[in-house]
Amino acid sequence: MLYEQELKTFVEGTTNFFEVAAQQPASIGSPYLMEGSPAVHEYTGVINISGKREGVVYFTAPKAMLTVLLMKMQENDFSHETMKDLVGEVANTISGNARRDFGRDFVISVPSVLSGEKPQIPQKPGVRSFIIPINWRSHSAKLIVSLT
Amino acid sequence: MRNGKAVAKNGGKRTLKLMIVDDSNIMRRRIERSQRFEQLELVGTAGNGLEALELFKKTDPDVVTMDITMPQMDGIECIARLVAMKPAVRILVVSALADKATAVEAMERGANGFLNKPFTDRQLNEAIAELMR
Amino acid sequence: MTRAAGTARRRQLVTAAGLGTVLTVVMGAVLVMGFRLATNMRAGIGALQAASTLQTYPEEISRQLSTLRDRLEVRAYSGQALADLQGTVSRFDQKLNQLAGSHAADSPQLGRPLLLWHQYAPVLDPVVSFTGQPYVDSDTAGSSLSREGRAHYAAVKRAQLFASDSAGPLQAQLAALSATLQRSSSDAAARLRTLLLAGVLAALSLAGAAGYFQLTRSKHERAALEAQEQTRDILKTVREGLFLLDSEHHIGTVWSDALTRMFSRQDFAGLSFERLLKDLVPPATLTTATKYIKLLWGDRAHENLMKSINPLGQLEVKIDNGHGGRETRYLQFDFHRVMGQDGVKHVLCAVGDITSSVLLAHELEESQENASAQVDMMLGLLHVDPLQLVSFLDTADSSLKLVNTILKEPARTDAEFRKKLGGLFRELHGIKGEAQALNLKSIAGRVHTLEDMVSECKKKPELSGSDFLPMVLKLDELLAHLRSVREMAARLTALKDTAPGAAAMAAAAGAAAASGADAPGRSQPRVVEDLSPTLLAMAKRLAADNSKRFRLTLGGLADVPPSYAATIKDCIIQMLRNAAVHGIEPPEARRANTKQDIGLVSVHFRKNGDGYELVFEDDGAGIAAETLKAAAVRKQLISEQEAAEMDTRAAMALIFRPGFSTCEDVSMDAGRGVGMDIVARSVYALGGKIGVTTHPGRFTRFKIVLPAGRAASSAVA
Repeated sequence: MLYEQELKTFVEGTTNFFEVAAQQPASIGSPYLMEGSPAVHEYTGVINISGKREGVVYFTAPKAMLTVLLMKMQENDFSHETMKDLVGEVANTISGNARRDFGRDFVISVPSVLSGEKPQIPQKPGVRSFIIPINWRSHSAKLIVSLT
Repeated sequence: MRNGKAVAKNGGKRTLKLMIVDDSNIMRRRIERSQRFEQLELVGTAGNGLEALELFKKTDPDVVTMDITMPQMDGIECIARLVAMKPAVRILVVSALADKATAVEAMERGANGFLNKPFTDRQLNEAIAELMR
Repeated sequence: MTRAAGTARRRQLVTAAGLGTVLTVVMGAVLVMGFRLATNMRAGIGALQAASTLQTYPEEISRQLSTLRDRLEVRAYSGQALADLQGTVSRFDQKLNQLAGSHAADSPQLGRPLLLWHQYAPVLDPVVSFTGQPYVDSDTAGSSLSREGRAHYAAVKRAQLFASDSAGPLQAQLAALSATLQRSSSDAAARLRTLLLAGVLAALSLAGAAGYFQLTRSKHERAALEAQEQTRDILKTVREGLFLLDSEHHIGTVWSDALTRMFSRQDFAGLSFERLLKDLVPPATLTTATKYIKLLWGDRAHENLMKSINPLGQLEVKIDNGHGGRETRYLQFDFHRVMGQDGVKHVLCAVGDITSSVLLAHELEESQENASAQVDMMLGLLHVDPLQLVSFLDTADSSLKLVNTILKEPARTDAEFRKKLGGLFRELHGIKGEAQALNLKSIAGRVHTLEDMVSECKKKPELSGSDFLPMVLKLDELLAHLRSVREMAARLTALKDTAPGAAAMAAAAGAAAASGADAPGRSQPRVVEDLSPTLLAMAKRLAADNSKRFRLTLGGLADVPPSYAATIKDCIIQMLRNAAVHGIEPPEARRANTKQDIGLVSVHFRKNGDGYELVFEDDGAGIAAETLKAAAVRKQLISEQEAAEMDTRAAMALIFRPGFSTCEDVSMDAGRGVGMDIVARSVYALGGKIGVTTHPGRFTRFKIVLPAGRAASSAVA
């Protein structure tokens, strides 16, 4: 059973990125549960977790959101590579936060970045995922926590 | 790898040469944009440890910002190599890896400061100021 | 404090040593000076004596010269007189020269007699150096002066002449000299006396000073001792393990007693930090710790940076517990640099034992895990009919799916979040009612907690997504719990296979369990359960819980079509709960109203024309329109104005409004203001109608009308 603190650490890692990098806080939307693989947006940053918990945590965001985020960061390169970089950085921050808080119990991978609507995210069958919408300006991304 | 302009002299004051090492383009550019120090002159950016070593040999920077998680050669290894080449180099670790063991390891290899990702411009400027004190 | 005392002590030692040296030097100087003064004085006294003696000589010489002249004139024997004169002159010359060679020579008083003598001596010289015969004896003239004798006589006369002129001055000069010498001699004596006095005084004052310092030193020593004792007391009582590390990373000679207790050892002196931790922590941790300690000595990182990367903030160590076993403890290390003149001198290390707080946190985690303790769940399940259980689990799953759907609805604003709460509450309340009806406490308890969370959210002034995070976690846990209930039920049913038909039931339960949380909703065809036992059991429990007495009669429930079964069940449960809490009066109140002690509650289901009809009736207190209005006003569902204008029929409709409940205290059964609200909502969802008739003090009757041939899909599709 996932603890509230664990979920909070992942969520804070994500919202923190927006707050610090774009100087504009993100809010979390209404969280819910889902079985099977949730739909993802164009860009997805994944970290794998093993140890006390097993599974994946990923941040998936639509291109439009990333574009605005890059603009807020005074970036003027909106290439595919830059988008991937950005999602990677968000995942990096989530991973860093998790290491700080659960470094003792978790083994946390270096993030990998996937793009496209149907990426292969290795998900354990029968695990319910927590879907936490991340709302920022008018856009919405998703943080997906899928751990046993 | 992109080499920066030649080192400029700044009102007689010695300009310190800065190299940015990060595998993310965004982060590299963010650091580039944020370094508003008159004494700092960007001499180049590298996307991994190996590139960093080569660029270091060519440009001989005084100040380096260093990511930890990078392909080919990671930041920890790279710090050790850079310090071996130039003991006086000042290295700021810029990383999302917030665990203590990594921090101690980097310091032990010769890093001089830390900045956790993500960071604000102010945090970056303060970290660089602290580094050059 | 310690440092100041140390400095004072050092200053004292220096002072004491200085005093000794000064004393020796002063006494030495006094002695040397005294010796020299004494020597001078002795010489002075010698000179004085000589000078005094010399005074008599000029007179003597004059006298002897006269004697010699007399002798020569009378041609008497002059040898003796000359010899006397020779002796006197020679002694005078000798003594005078002696005096001139002495320290008195520099006295101007000596110059004059010497000068005079230097004129006198040549005059005397021919006299005293005479060696010949002064007389010539002739028979004719008797004795007469020889030629030598005449010269001698002349010399004597000359000398006498000189003597008569100079003997007086010479004597006077010598007297003056002797007076001078006398004066200087007494001066010297006075000086010596002064010196000695000064020496004695110096010695006394030094001795006094030494005494004073001795006194203050012992006072300071006492203070130092006291400080030492205080330090010892501190080290004995402080709860942190305190010690200093030197630049070789070795522990110093002093440490607090707590350290001994923490590490179960005594031999810290000179122990290296690495050795201290070596067998207690994993090698990787040890390496990091050692590197960190080394960094503390460098000047690369300032204190704050070092603090922020301290890897020993919560160190798990396995320590020998003294009984052959090893015990896990959690230690917190804090490091402070102690700066000396040339950088870091020591590192002060403070170790705190945070085991209890860490364990407490772990226990909290564990107790959360243990909340799913399965014993009572199993006991509860043993009494539940397997088919009822499966039916309940299906319903619960569907309801929770609806809960999740409500959650999934995107929301950004407080209003959007708040909108979810009502729906969440209704669904959860429904599941709880059923769980209670089946006496599934572990499930009802969990749903109740979830319901509480929703209620808490209602009270918050501003809702956001983070307020829903705990709910989702709890929902996840509830789903997991339902699954394990399903699995356990399947196992239990398999155990009970002695009863006929049990195999079929087991198969049903097992199939449902296997499909897990994905279990299909109510639409799936399955054996229709018999509602009666559930409702009768629930009535019994409700009566007991609310201290009421009533009898439940059921009719026609076997005719409920499968598509309506779940809704009908939900409705009856809510109405039954309402009747037990609000409707049926306590026995005393009934007696006072000339009613039977035991109340009556009846439920009848029947086909009615094209559709169906469910009538639920109790012979309780009924509902007073005014009571409903007052409650609605209190809950701010309507204004007082509206209440006043409301007719009885409209007032009765209030009972179906969301958020309405007339029972003030929140119990598991009622008072949350959703009971009839759920009923009405599910009836409307099926395309049906609901109405209420009541007579205060007599009865309350709910009538539900449902259409026939309604699609089998449930309200929560």
